[in-house]
Order: sequence, then C-alpha cells, then structure tokens
Amino acid sequence: MNPLAVRLGPLELRNPILTASGTFGYGLEFTDFVDLSKLGGLCTKGLSLEPHAGNAPPRICETPAGMLNAIGLQNVGVEAFLAEKLPKLRALGATVIANVWGDLEEDYVTVVEALEEAEGLAAVELNISCPNVSRGGMLFGNSPTLTASLVAKVRAATRRPLIVKLSPNAPDLVLSARAARDAGADVLSLINTVVGMAIDPETAKPRISFGTGGLSGPAIKPIAVRMVYQVARALPGVPLMGIGGIARLEDVLEFLAAGASAVQVGTASFRDPGVSGRLVEELATYCIARGATAASLVGRAHAGGRPAAEAGAEG
Amino acid sequence: MRSDHRARHLRTERYALGLFSATFRAPDLASGILPGQFVMLDVPERIRPYLRRAYSVADARPESGEVEFLVKTVGPGTRALEELPEGSEAALLGPLGNSFSVAGLSAGARVAVVAGGIGAAPFPLLYRALGRAGIAADLFLGGRGEKDLAFRRRFDGLVTGETVLATDDGSLGEKGFVTEVFRGRARQTRYTRVYACGPMPMFRALAGVTRELAIEAEFSTEAEMGCGFGACLGCVIPGVEKPFLVSCSEGPILAPEKIAW
Repeated sequence: MNPLAVRLGPLELRNPILTASGTFGYGLEFTDFVDLSKLGGLCTKGLSLEPHAGNAPPRICETPAGMLNAIGLQNVGVEAFLAEKLPKLRALGATVIANVWGDLEEDYVTVVEALEEAEGLAAVELNISCPNVSRGGMLFGNSPTLTASLVAKVRAATRRPLIVKLSPNAPDLVLSARAARDAGADVLSLINTVVGMAIDPETAKPRISFGTGGLSGPAIKPIAVRMVYQVARALPGVPLMGIGGIARLEDVLEFLAAGASAVQVGTASFRDPGVSGRLVEELATYCIARGATAASLVGRAHAGGRPAAEAGAEG
Repeated sequence: MRSDHRARHLRTERYALGLFSATFRAPDLASGILPGQFVMLDVPERIRPYLRRAYSVADARPESGEVEFLVKTVGPGTRALEELPEGSEAALLGPLGNSFSVAGLSAGARVAVVAGGIGAAPFPLLYRALGRAGIAADLFLGGRGEKDLAFRRRFDGLVTGETVLATDDGSLGEKGFVTEVFRGRARQTRYTRVYACGPMPMFRALAGVTRELAIEAEFSTEAEMGCGFGACLGCVIPGVEKPFLVSCSEGPILAPEKIAW
C-alpha cells in the first residue's frame, strides 16, 4: 500500500503534492527539474476557449516574502493545449488537472466540453478567482449566486472530478464554498492570490501595468491556512486542496493539519523549480519514519491537535 | 541540461562604486554555457529578495570550472550578490535562454558589439567565441560618463577588433550616444552583424540604425523575470508577429524586427 495515496471524493491521487495553476506553466517547462510522474498532480495554466495574449508588461513585481502578478491569464487556448501539450504530459506519466477560465458562463462550459473527450485528464479545476482580468474570473467567485450558477452549468457538462478554486477576496469565503459544493463541486481548492498593489515611490505609478495584482508566496500562507481551517470547520467532509506560500515540508504538514487533503505548490516553483518533487520525497520519508499515512495527517488541528505518530498509529 | 548548480563564490572584483565582477566555481555550467545565455541566481537563506535574479554569464572557463558575472548594483537582489562573502554558496539555475549565434559568419567578416553601461555584461564570453572563429569584432562601449565604462578593462586582450568608447557627457572617448557613434562608423565599415545589450532607449535607437543600414542584429533583451524558464510569463516584451515575446524562454537574444518598439 502506498502510504502517500489520498482520495478527494472521486479523485484518487498517488500523493497529496500538486502544483498550482499559473505557477507551473503546462508542466513541460519543468521536466529538467521534476519527474512529473512523481507528483500527485499538476494544474495547468488557466485555459480559455481562444488563445489569450494576457496583460501588457510590467506584469510582475517582487514584494516582501512574495510577489505580485497580473499576467492576465495568457494561454495557448484549449485546442492547442489538447493538440500540443496534453499528449506530451500523458507520455511523461503526469496526472493532469486542467484549469479553466472564461469571461462568461458559456465560455467555461465550452472549454470543459472541449476537454471532456480528451484522454489523460484527471480532473477539471475552475478558476473563478483570478483577480487580473477585467471580466469573468474573480467576478464569479465573489458572488455565491454567480458561483452556484456557474458551477451547476459546468457540473452538467462534465463527468470528471470537478474542483472549484476559491478566491480569498470573496466577501464571505464560507458562503462561496458552500455555494460551490451545493452546486456540484467535488473538491474545493483554496486560495487563489490576494489582491494587492505596489507603487513606485519615485514615479508614484503602480509597479504593475494592470494597477493591482495578485499577491502570492510565503506572505499569504497564514491567510491561506486560516481559510482552509475555516472552510474545513464549516463544511466537514468536503475535500480541500490547500494553496498559499507552500515551500517546505512544514508548510505541507500545516495545511494538512488545517484540513486540506492535498496541497498545491505555487510561487515556490518559480524560485526553486524542483521543490514540488522534493516535497513528495520529504513527505514520504516523514510518513515512513512515523508509520503514518498522508491521509492520517489531514485535519489534525480540528481534533485539538495530536502528534503525527499518534495520528499515524490509527491510520 | 539545465539544472540548479550549487556554486562556491570564489571572488568579487570591484571596478567602480556599484560595478563589480563575481566569480563562482560551477564546473558543469562552465563547460555547458553558450555566449548570451543566463542563469537565475539564488543567494540562499534569505527572505528578501524573494525571487532569484537573472544574470547573463559574462565569462566561463571550462578548464578552471569558473563562471563570472559582471554586475551593477541596482537593488536588493544585486546588493545581496555584492555582499555575498567569498567562500559561501549560491545556486545557479541554468544554462537558460538562447544564445548569440556565431555561426553563419564567414572568416574575414566584420561584426560589431554595441553595449550600453552594464550591457557589457554578456560580451567577454562572446568575444572568446568570436576569437576562436577568427571573426573581427569592433567593440562600441557607451555610457553616461566615464564611470559607466569601468568594465572596459575587462575586455583587455579579448577584443578582436577596434574598441570605441562613447560617453554622453564626453568625459571619456567620443561625446554622444553610443548608437550615434556606431552609426557613423557603420556607414563606412560594412558590418555583417551587430550584437547589442543595453537599456531600452539604446535598443530603440539602435533598432533604427540597424534597420536603416540593413545590418542583421541580435539584441540581448531583459525584462524583469520571475522564473527564467518560461513558466511565469512575467518577462514579456511586445512583439510584432504575436502580442508578446517571452524574454527568458524565446530570448533573451531577439532580433529587433521581432520587437514592437
């Protein structure tokens, strides 16, 4: 038995370490640094119906313990993804989760329909939380009503496991999470980036051409841990993927303890492209040393906190 | 193959205030890197700066395993490198990006290197390749004043042609923009190709000159990079045939006619 295997509703993964959309390209950029077949999964760059050019530069800016970005969802489009990227990912043995976004509900549905017959996709992740486009994106995530409507329409269009990626910028995260779950989401992933801003003190202009950007990196980890904990508390039994500033084994364990059944490594892959693969190895070593399974490490903080060895003895 | 090389910092040599050379021991990188390629350098055990920084490799010596960077201190990233103690370790992710092409030049061809300020950084290694190929390359080195040209002595013995210095204030060499000085020479000397690196205004002016005189050109571009290997799409430059060129993975060496100036 594989001690790292985790199950998130209908989604079975070989381990709980994935890579986050927007921080891992199409996976193929990382093959010199990570054996993709060793990861729990990889979430692609957000795919839209048509190729999308993204925002004008400058698009990124370093901040204390992280970065702001407003890439604007530049991507090759779903057709090119299916023709050029997915076959290579399959050949490499990657567990691929297609991240999907659109301006309108119909756009999401059309992309998901285009993906439906493709072989080699483990799940679909809906991005309803991107802060860097003028339409769609975060607008869906900020309203539980819009979230519910969109998720229900996509749910009807796919038999695949459906992940909905939530926004930390939503007025009430638990309401959004409940809306997504009730509309048919199998898994919730959280959090996307936190809207932020940086201004050049000399020119008094925003450092990013879009004005605002999404903050990521270790700077947002405590926010993300709190939100995972909060949703896990409010919606027990809903499988969660934790995202936000994960770079070390301690971060993985923290998110699992908060109630995530799996995690997505994000911005850390820019700075250290091999980090996700190493975290899989480190988690394996950790679990073997304690006789624990990864699944037994999930939600320990809600049980009042227990040592991993004790949790492992039950698992 | 690209990998994250652990490298020992051997020495820092200062050329002027805020202009220095940092040399590391990284044998695999030293034997694998091509002129114009770069690395993403990580000074370990730090929270800020958070991201790595991109540095063109200035020179590489396979025989000693040394890799050298020419650096101008502009912010916290470059300052961390300037202050890195000798003997400490850094991580060099590379080699990244495409390279200057030396192929396709016939022996006896005359080419030019045009560098503005810290834009001199990638050229010692290119000069080694040009020297091996027996190609005469004139060096045009420009800056606002004499201090910006402090790296000129790094090219002693390397330049396979004439060296032309230019400063905006006339404190060293010819007075005026290096692009104008180059233009004057290029009307007399037929250059087959020009290799260039410098700030955006220099590139823009030089693109006009190379277009006017129909000289093939290779520009070493740089936009602020998040990852350095095409994943974050942060370092884009407006393109002609498509909306954006990704500086790190489609470049950093780009032909000026591909860029929307």
